[in-house]
Amino acid sequence: MNGSQLPEKPDYEVDFPIERVEAEHVSRREFAKFLCLVSGGMAVGTAWVAVKDTLFPPHRIEGEVFVCKTANVPLGGTHAFTVPGSRTPFILIHLNDGSWRAYEQKCTHLSCAVYYQPQADKIECPCHNGWFDARTGNVLQGPPPRPLPHLEVVLKGDDIYVAEPKTV
Amino acid sequence: MSSFRKAQRQAHPAKTNTLLLGVICVLILILTMQIWLLTASLNQSLEGDNAVKWPAFIASALLFSSGAALLRYLPDPIRRAKKATRAEMRRRDP
Repeated sequence: MNGSQLPEKPDYEVDFPIERVEAEHVSRREFAKFLCLVSGGMAVGTAWVAVKDTLFPPHRIEGEVFVCKTANVPLGGTHAFTVPGSRTPFILIHLNDGSWRAYEQKCTHLSCAVYYQPQADKIECPCHNGWFDARTGNVLQGPPPRPLPHLEVVLKGDDIYVAEPKTV
Repeated sequence: MSSFRKAQRQAHPAKTNTLLLGVICVLILILTMQIWLLTASLNQSLEGDNAVKWPAFIASALLFSSGAALLRYLPDPIRRAKKATRAEMRRRDP
C-alpha cells in the first residue's frame, strides 16, 4: 500500500459495518447468490417429494374392511370412519338414490374436513367454498386441485365394507 | 498483461451492469421453472401418479447446477478488478 491510497477496511468492518445503510445494503452479486441458494432449496424440496413418496408410500387397505351396518346410515346420511393402520378420516355416504360412496374426509386443497350436503347432493368444503360431486368425487367449484380420494364400497347383506378401488 | 481489459472497461462502462442483470434474469427464470416443477410433482404425487416425481427432481437438479455454474460468470466487482490491474501494473513497472 502506498501513501496516496486510503487504507483498506478490515474484514470485521466489512462484515459488521457501523453505518446502518451499509449493513442493510444487498448488492446485486449477493442477490444472485441468494437466488442460487433458493434454487438449491427447490431442488432439495423436489428430491424430498420423490424420496418420501418412494420410501413411505401412502397406506393401502388390505382386503375389505368392515365399516358398519346399512341400517346405521339413513338415506342422505353419512358415517365417519377410519381404517386400521391409518388415521386418515373417511366418510361413508348414503346417497339420495340409495347408492353408497366412501371418500377421504380431507379436502384436497388444505385438508379441511368436508361435509355431504344431501339437499344439493354435493360435498362441501366450508373453509374456502370448495364443492365436490358426491357421485364421482370430482371438483365442481372452488380451489381444490384434485378429486377426493375414494374407496370402493362393498355391500354384503346388511354389512358395508370398503376396499381399495380397482385400478384400470 | 495487456491493457486490453482496462480499455474495454473504459469503452463499455455498462458491460458489467448488463452482465449482472442478465445473470439475475436467468436465475429468476430458473427459479420459476423449479417452483413449477416442485408444485407439479407434489400435486401428481398426492394424486397417486408416480411417473413425474423422479424426472422432476432430475430436471430441478440440472437447473440448479446450471444456475450455480452461471455464478462463475458473475463479473468481478469493479473495485477489485481495478485493484488487480493496479497491482499488475506496479509489478511490471515498479
